[in-house]
Amino acid sequence: MRRNKGKNPAAAGSRGTWGYIARAIKPYAPQIIASIMLSAVTVGLTLYIPIKIGEVIDKIVGKNNVDFESIMPMLGTILVMAAAAGVAQWVAGALNNRVTYGVVRDIRCCAHSHIQTLPLSYLDRRPAGELVSRLITDADKFSDGLLLGFTQLFTGVLTIIGTLIFMLTINVWITLVVALLTPMSIFVARFIAGRTYSLFRRQSETRGELTSYIDEMIGGMKTVRAFGREGKTNEKFDAINDRLKTVSVSAIFFSSLTNPTTRFLNAVVYAAVALAGALTSIGGGISVGMLTSFLAYANQYSKPFNEISGVVTELGASLASASRLFELMEVAPETPDREDAAELTADGMSGININGKSANHGKANKNDTTGKDGITGKAATAAAPTAPANLPKKASGEVAFEHIAFSYTPERPLIRDVNVHVAAGQHVAIVGPTGCGKTTLINLLLRFYDVTGGAIKVDGTDIRDLTRASLRRSYGMVLQDTWIKTATVRENIKLGHPSATDEEMIAAARAAHADGFIRRLPRGYDTLLGEGGESLSQGQRQLLSISRIMLSLPPILILDEATSSIDTRTEARINRAFTEMMAGRTAFVVAHRLGTVKNSELILVMKDGDIIEQGTHDSLLAKGGFYKHLWESQFEVV
Amino acid sequence: MRQVFHYMRSYLKESILGPLFKLLEATFELFVPLVVANIVDVGIKNGDRGYIARMAGLMVLLGVIGLTCTIAAQYFAAKASVGCTSGLRRALFERITKLDYTTLDELGTSTMVTRLTSDMNQVETGLNLTLRLLLRSPFVVFGAMVMAFTIDAHAAAVFAVTIPALALVVFGIMLVSIPLYKKVQQSLDRVMLSARENLLGVRVLRAFGREKDEIREFEERGDVLAAAQRFVGNISALLNPLTFVIINAAAVVLVWVGAVRVDSGIIETGEVIALYNYMSQILVELVKLANLIINVTRSVASANRIEAIIELPPEKNAASSADAENAATEKTASTPEIAVEFDHVSLRYKNGGGDALSDITFRAMRGETVGVIGGTGSGKSSLVNLIPAFYTATGGEVRVFGENVSECDREKLRRHVAVVAQGAELYSGTIRENIAWGNADATEKEIEDAVRTAQAADVIASKTHGLDERVERGGVNFSGGQRQRLTIARALVRHADILILDDSASALDFATDAALRASLAALDPKPTVFIVSQRTSSIMHADKIIVLEDGECVGIGTHAELLSSCAVYREIHESQHKEASGE
Repeated sequence: MRRNKGKNPAAAGSRGTWGYIARAIKPYAPQIIASIMLSAVTVGLTLYIPIKIGEVIDKIVGKNNVDFESIMPMLGTILVMAAAAGVAQWVAGALNNRVTYGVVRDIRCCAHSHIQTLPLSYLDRRPAGELVSRLITDADKFSDGLLLGFTQLFTGVLTIIGTLIFMLTINVWITLVVALLTPMSIFVARFIAGRTYSLFRRQSETRGELTSYIDEMIGGMKTVRAFGREGKTNEKFDAINDRLKTVSVSAIFFSSLTNPTTRFLNAVVYAAVALAGALTSIGGGISVGMLTSFLAYANQYSKPFNEISGVVTELGASLASASRLFELMEVAPETPDREDAAELTADGMSGININGKSANHGKANKNDTTGKDGITGKAATAAAPTAPANLPKKASGEVAFEHIAFSYTPERPLIRDVNVHVAAGQHVAIVGPTGCGKTTLINLLLRFYDVTGGAIKVDGTDIRDLTRASLRRSYGMVLQDTWIKTATVRENIKLGHPSATDEEMIAAARAAHADGFIRRLPRGYDTLLGEGGESLSQGQRQLLSISRIMLSLPPILILDEATSSIDTRTEARINRAFTEMMAGRTAFVVAHRLGTVKNSELILVMKDGDIIEQGTHDSLLAKGGFYKHLWESQFEVV
Repeated sequence: MRQVFHYMRSYLKESILGPLFKLLEATFELFVPLVVANIVDVGIKNGDRGYIARMAGLMVLLGVIGLTCTIAAQYFAAKASVGCTSGLRRALFERITKLDYTTLDELGTSTMVTRLTSDMNQVETGLNLTLRLLLRSPFVVFGAMVMAFTIDAHAAAVFAVTIPALALVVFGIMLVSIPLYKKVQQSLDRVMLSARENLLGVRVLRAFGREKDEIREFEERGDVLAAAQRFVGNISALLNPLTFVIINAAAVVLVWVGAVRVDSGIIETGEVIALYNYMSQILVELVKLANLIINVTRSVASANRIEAIIELPPEKNAASSADAENAATEKTASTPEIAVEFDHVSLRYKNGGGDALSDITFRAMRGETVGVIGGTGSGKSSLVNLIPAFYTATGGEVRVFGENVSECDREKLRRHVAVVAQGAELYSGTIRENIAWGNADATEKEIEDAVRTAQAADVIASKTHGLDERVERGGVNFSGGQRQRLTIARALVRHADILILDDSASALDFATDAALRASLAALDPKPTVFIVSQRTSSIMHADKIIVLEDGECVGIGTHAELLSSCAVYREIHESQHKEASGE
């Protein structure tokens, strides 16, 4: 759980990565061992066949000089060996598939489950694409590169060693010719690869530049058209495209030299073997059949070298992927729920263990992060009397901020010492200019982030003493940015309450004024919504999220500009539904339009991340502060 | 493939020389086994060391010639494939800048970007491989067979059986596995979607406590993917063992037949070795060919996707009718008159169910301010998008300065109309460059005026580099309100006769919104301004307000008139101001 502090992070990371790799492949150890053994069998047989062929060739001397008697069984042996090698190779391949795809699935699921426990402070700082690429690409690279790479490396090394041994048994000198000349082609391949690397980098840079230009201009194509910028846009495209063309021709040409060059060097080796072999053969050193075997080996010998050099690069890349995955797995999850955390249910809280709680606020609390203890301890003592021990208490929805302080980064404190008391069933409006920190407040209420000072209490209990799941279940939230799952409308509405009946779901959709448009969709409630709900308008998406809340009806509501993309008439109707729904429930309503919040019992005015004023509409107007300024600016007449 | 061939034509020389050199190289490679046969049958047999040395020298020489030919081939192939793709890419991009809005909507951004990037890369790779290898591999396969026949027709009969058998295995496995790989890709997409959605919706999912369900769903999809991968993987894993067995079985038969022929004195031992070597060459080339075909098939699919867009018709334009242009220009120069006129206009989007607009009729005079209001999806944006002919009316006529927009030159027309769209899109560059989009010739003073009118002066002032401040891609370093004001400035610098603000002040606070309207009203010469909004406060002072509901015009008039005559307008207004006006 704890990150390595103080140690050399690189060394620790690399050690950790190996440990992580070992854990990932451990369940597949039998398959891996079997696959390795089968590969060894395949390599051995594959190498032995050319020798056998050579022996057969030696029995074919000339006219009327062919030893059919001994050829027959030898050819039979070759057939059997080839078949055995084939079967072993396929079984090893199937085992490798099982291991590779199994491991990638396991690490993906593991990482995905881990992400579910990560704090939002981590997730918010990373673009979704980056984490997705770790789950998908890195997991693939890891299993492909590391496992397939390993088997390839193994068979490659085995082939090289085996070939050397077989060749040595035939003739030492010719073997030396092959062994010394072949690595040359690898050096040449390396040399070319090194030279072309900078070309490839320039190619991919230019390609990246072009892609990002394309992305931007196609995305804004309508504006390009509206301003008649087609000519200029095309000009710039051409400029980048031409540069890409020049650099691509060189990159592709120079890189494509590797193959012919190594092939040429292999041809030289082949010729050398033919020369040395033939000369030795004249002296009676080796037979013609042995020369054939040698030539076959000379042809194959460079192949594993080329493969290995490819595998080494791949192994490096997959190791990097593994360490990225490991790094993700190493991110500490959210401070876990306290062991004795209470459940907050819609019907009330149960199982609050006062004794356990107070005990835990002492030094024994292993989960608490530093800096929090002192304040929570105090707050909990103050709160203790309001929660009667062991008696399930009706969750009224009372919410209190007690001296809360919060910041995303220590350098920029946002909220300093705010006290707010919201009685059960009270409706709180949150107002303020864009970017004033309304979202922050939601992050704190739902414990997506923990306060850095003070405490937030629901029904008198510090929310850190409640299970997150139960705390969050007691909130119903409609955010400005609606989120729609790629699933049917039905599944989307039932997201928070999967066991609801269809009647309940339809009633909720009606209440949210969503039933009408849903029925007009091609397949009604069974319509499959595309990625991100793209087929729906922003307003329709908001209506769907409202339906979700209408269905689960939690005791505390958070409406973050829930109706910002809905026209005001529909909004008025929904607000009526909201008003009904909010009756008897605590509600936090974030809104732009001050008119809609005027009747709230409590208005929180936020600016620059802090709550700067609170009170009722009248008391805030009377105060003559920032709220008054906001209120008046909306009536300014031209 | 027509477009690809079209651009290949510019590289005709390279496209012919590339494969030609490749064939030359292959021919030289085919001679190598014959040389080896001669070493055995002549050199070793006669103990002629000089002959053997000469033959080894010949093999190196063949290698040198082969290398030279390949280098030439690679060069021509690289030049032709890159050049052709470059031309294709340019053509595609240019065509996209000419498509009409309806087509752009249909295609969607991501499709177009994919075709310009990854599809193009695929075509490039495919072309390059085709030029280098597509002829070479079959040539070597059949060349090897022909050479075998020249050695001994009887023994070579084995080739005639082996080649089809190998081809059957190689292509059969390929044909079976390609659709299966597609399935794997689909499963992978689903896994990816699950992961991405989970991250994007993390707040909602956690708020509803759905983590466990998400994990379960992800695991299920992971299982499906792993099973699909294993299945196709096991089939593909057959390729190497099967071909290995076939080639060795063929070698065994070949050696046996060879032995019989040698025994009868028809061929010599070295020739048996040559036959065996040709057999090995065939296997290597067939596998190469199979991979190549997979790649080329993908490239053909990519090329077809690219061509599908290139061959779309560009936006219709009556540019040829110079009279229409002149007429429009003349009229703008003349005295007050009707700037925009809708005459029973209706609009139905392609693939859209009902009419987005039906039977809209109104007139906007020069210098007038027109408000357009209505609920979500009532057709407000559709209405203003018809003015610069972004879409073409499916019924009735839209006239700008008396000219039917579907008949006048688009470029000319759009010079008269400046649109500030909803998205408030900014592009990477400086603020100045972004504003200059509206008018490349704008002077410093014109830009500053536009900025001031758009209430964006404080945005510029707040940035260290003023107008030269960098704008990140998508304008992410500006707030929504700042972006909106900058896009308004960009439109203003055009000095267009008609200015359309399509809900483009929604992120502004009331005071800024009011100041913006005041400064627009003070412009001289005053353009005809269309303000689209959901807020009555933004349009209540307009000369004319058009109230839309479900694509129909339910009221036209001033604020006061509509309050008394139009129920919809009254309801909108009250929903926004009832509580605020103090009940």
